[in-house]
Amino acid sequence: MKILVAVKQVAALDEDFEIRADGKDVEAEFLLRDLNEWDDFALEEAVGIKEASTGTPVEVIVVSIGPEDADETLRKCLAKGADRAIRVWDDAIGGSDPIAIAQVLAAVARREAPELLFAGAQSSDHAFAATGIATAALLDWAHAAVLTQLSVSPGARTARFRRELEGGLLHEMETDLPAVLTIQLGINTPRYASLRAIKQAAAKPIEVLTLADLSVAAQAVGEAGSLSRVRRMYIPEKGRAEMIEGSIESQAQRVIEIIREVAGEAASGVA
Amino acid sequence: MAGSDAVTRVLFEDFTPSAVRLFYAIGYSAIAVFLYGVYAQVRKYRRGAPAGIPLNLLPRLESMFAILLNHRMIRRRDRPAGEAHRLIFYGFVLLFLGTATITLDYDILGPLFGVHFWHGEFYLWFSLVLDVAGVMLGGGLLYMMYRRGWLKPPKLDYARPDRAPTDPDYDRSNYVREDWAFLWTLLTIAATGYLLEALRLVWLSGRPDVWDTRWWSPVGAAIAQGLQAAGLSDAAAGEWRRNLWWFHGLLALLFIALIPYTKVKHIFTAMGTLMFRDPKAAQRLPREKADAPHPGAKYITDFNWKQLLSLDACTKCGRCHEACPARAVGAPLSPRDVILSLREFANRTLNSAQLPAQAELDVHGKGPGQVAMETLWSCRTCMACVEVCPVAVEHVPIIVQLRRKLVEEGEMDPQLRKTLQTIHKTGNSFGESRRKRAAWTKTLGFPVKDARKEAVDVLWFVGDYASFDPRNQKVTAGFATLMHDAGVDFGILYDGESNAGNDVRRVGEEGLYEVLAEGNINTLTSATFNSIVTTDPHSYNTIRNEYPDFGGRFEIEHYTTLLLRLMQQGCLSVNRKLNLRVTFHDPCHLGRFNKGYEAPREILERLGCELVEMGRCRSNSFCCGAGGGRIWIPDPVGAEKPAQNRMREAATIEGLQVYVVSCPKDLTMFEDALKTTGLEGKFVVRELIELVREALAQPQSTPAAPVAA
Repeated sequence: MKILVAVKQVAALDEDFEIRADGKDVEAEFLLRDLNEWDDFALEEAVGIKEASTGTPVEVIVVSIGPEDADETLRKCLAKGADRAIRVWDDAIGGSDPIAIAQVLAAVARREAPELLFAGAQSSDHAFAATGIATAALLDWAHAAVLTQLSVSPGARTARFRRELEGGLLHEMETDLPAVLTIQLGINTPRYASLRAIKQAAAKPIEVLTLADLSVAAQAVGEAGSLSRVRRMYIPEKGRAEMIEGSIESQAQRVIEIIREVAGEAASGVA
Repeated sequence: MAGSDAVTRVLFEDFTPSAVRLFYAIGYSAIAVFLYGVYAQVRKYRRGAPAGIPLNLLPRLESMFAILLNHRMIRRRDRPAGEAHRLIFYGFVLLFLGTATITLDYDILGPLFGVHFWHGEFYLWFSLVLDVAGVMLGGGLLYMMYRRGWLKPPKLDYARPDRAPTDPDYDRSNYVREDWAFLWTLLTIAATGYLLEALRLVWLSGRPDVWDTRWWSPVGAAIAQGLQAAGLSDAAAGEWRRNLWWFHGLLALLFIALIPYTKVKHIFTAMGTLMFRDPKAAQRLPREKADAPHPGAKYITDFNWKQLLSLDACTKCGRCHEACPARAVGAPLSPRDVILSLREFANRTLNSAQLPAQAELDVHGKGPGQVAMETLWSCRTCMACVEVCPVAVEHVPIIVQLRRKLVEEGEMDPQLRKTLQTIHKTGNSFGESRRKRAAWTKTLGFPVKDARKEAVDVLWFVGDYASFDPRNQKVTAGFATLMHDAGVDFGILYDGESNAGNDVRRVGEEGLYEVLAEGNINTLTSATFNSIVTTDPHSYNTIRNEYPDFGGRFEIEHYTTLLLRLMQQGCLSVNRKLNLRVTFHDPCHLGRFNKGYEAPREILERLGCELVEMGRCRSNSFCCGAGGGRIWIPDPVGAEKPAQNRMREAATIEGLQVYVVSCPKDLTMFEDALKTTGLEGKFVVRELIELVREALAQPQSTPAAPVAA
């Protein structure tokens, strides 16, 4: 049984960051890179299935779409028990939206033909929560999102899982395989990758694929292949708050003043 | 008369040749049983990993005998027991040498060369010395019996904090039986020895060469007089003697035969551990072998022979049990029980001719002899156990090696896991940006040199807590001001500094430690400076004792010695005496680890403080509970914390005004504990730096940190 786990190297903001000159992203030097937390749970779920399997061998493959520095994250995944790692990159991929990324992931899934494709329910930096499900749509596979519990026996044709719905409801479902499942935080306890394990994982090769290797056209990815584009990234102006003190009359006076100020601003904004 | 050859002790007089042969047969059998036992024990130790330590036999023997003869380690914190042991030890050694002398004369030199020396004046002095030795032995044993039977110190009750009464290895009554059997056997051998002597004197009272010299055996002679007075005849005495002689001889031979199988073996095993003792066992932890199949200790055979030997050296004296801060607050850890568990485990698995399957050698878990992860994570690596152990058992490296395996398998508190990941990612345990490491310098009225960019005299390794913790930042800024005012040419590494790794290593995350140590060593090596100073005892310890193993050899001191020197040189002068009643808390990593006891005390004296020591001070200082990575692990809710235990101890000091610390983690831990114990208002917790600043302040200016009365 093969489980493909799509992982993303996400960016976290450092202290006192600056926006890039083109205004579309944060300057790279202010970003700290790490494995997306949801993907950590997805990987743990896959490795857990592998370790629990007594008969059927289970292979866990991690795939990430990103430039060379994503290797660090893939190595961490290898240290946590993934058997193989694939990294796909091509300069044309830059600027892709989740659907374009899904095109690439779908190509990898066709190539590897896993029974299960796990993805995190969302990524902590962009939070589209779309990549996994878009991949399922492109593959025309069964899919389910935001899993909080999963049981699958290696070699089986179906998988059972649970999803948490609003209002404390639980959804228990069964799906045919192959399927794409997106994993919610808390489904398990991701293991710790010791530095020793990470160092040892450095010896495991990471397979690097280009778009050509996957027969994906350059036009299908990047800004060209994306249906949506980033216009700008910015920090909104902070709202204001003011504690009004004094007698009832003076408080009322101040409230009226504020209403006039805000109304005036809104009026001039319209104008 | 005294010089006569006839003045000696009869050995086998009146024995039939077959009785003598029987005695020798039994004697040789006893020696055979003894030797087999020694072989089996050595085989057990050899199943451990190589220790990789230089043999250096002569200096090691010298230091071992020095400790053995002066008994300095065994007297610590239990003087009466130490003195009683000294009596037993010297009595036993003399009696052993005496018996060996007879063997040398009667069985070796006599039959082989016809040479005899065991008679005449030599024999008389021999008798006297051995009689005195017997009194020493007996006296020591009687005190030990009184201690076990009547004094009953809690450290000897073998109560296990790491097991429930229902667990199969909870019961330690066999140890108690063995303790008593040991005492009674030795006492019986000694008592029957005197009785035999007396019976022989009565029996041979007709021989002037025996009877006239009897007072050279004063105890025997006194008993003989008594027996005669009670009407014992010569013949009856001879009869009694023959029977008692067999009893005494067989018991002594049984004792010898059983040495390798019982606690008596500590005679040899403790000599071994004292010989191979590592004075830096806890300060400088062992490196991981690069080719090891798994990190740390998973199987009992992952311990080296020296560690396996030390498991057998433990005499269950309970000093580590008593000193352990985790045990004191009810955590499921007693260093003694870790050692005894592993000993029981090793005896069960490594004593047979064939090693059992590897799975049965796994020492982790909750089965008999195994060590539970809750036990291992309770340890603060404060070194109290290692420091007090009279037979040089080195608990801390054993515990850390066991933890390395837990870390590898992720068996740790989620918060600790997160902290380790954070340190890997950001280089500090606060999860702050590297850029913010030197943010505290912004409050200073002067620039602090970047030691990476310009040469400095003193490089200040600031450390995580002193850099990022808001309360400690004030102290850090205070120390910067002191150095600036004293004209010290100093600089820091800014965002080039990472967590020094001391506690990461003690958690057992050796790989991360290597990354941190190597990173800091690279940064330090590329900077130009004469020496390093730090306010953080943890950083101090690892840079001083552990970085050299990674090629980083730097001169480093704790700030207390630097401040004292500046005061002695007149670069800093006290403008007003503080007149405070204070107590001083020795940080583990400054005191026990690196013997920095005096400098802070001398500073306090110069500040005009009246220092009142706590009961547990200097080498017996009580850990704040933050060591060994415990600062990153939440303490159990409701249970007392070591820092709270310490605050209650300090509160017993009449009129205490300031509890003085000299470690950033101590400041955090104790200020918190002062609040949670409800002792706030009784006294305050202050960093020594704050007191120095206050005493240095010009009289007209307001003190840096006002101290509550």
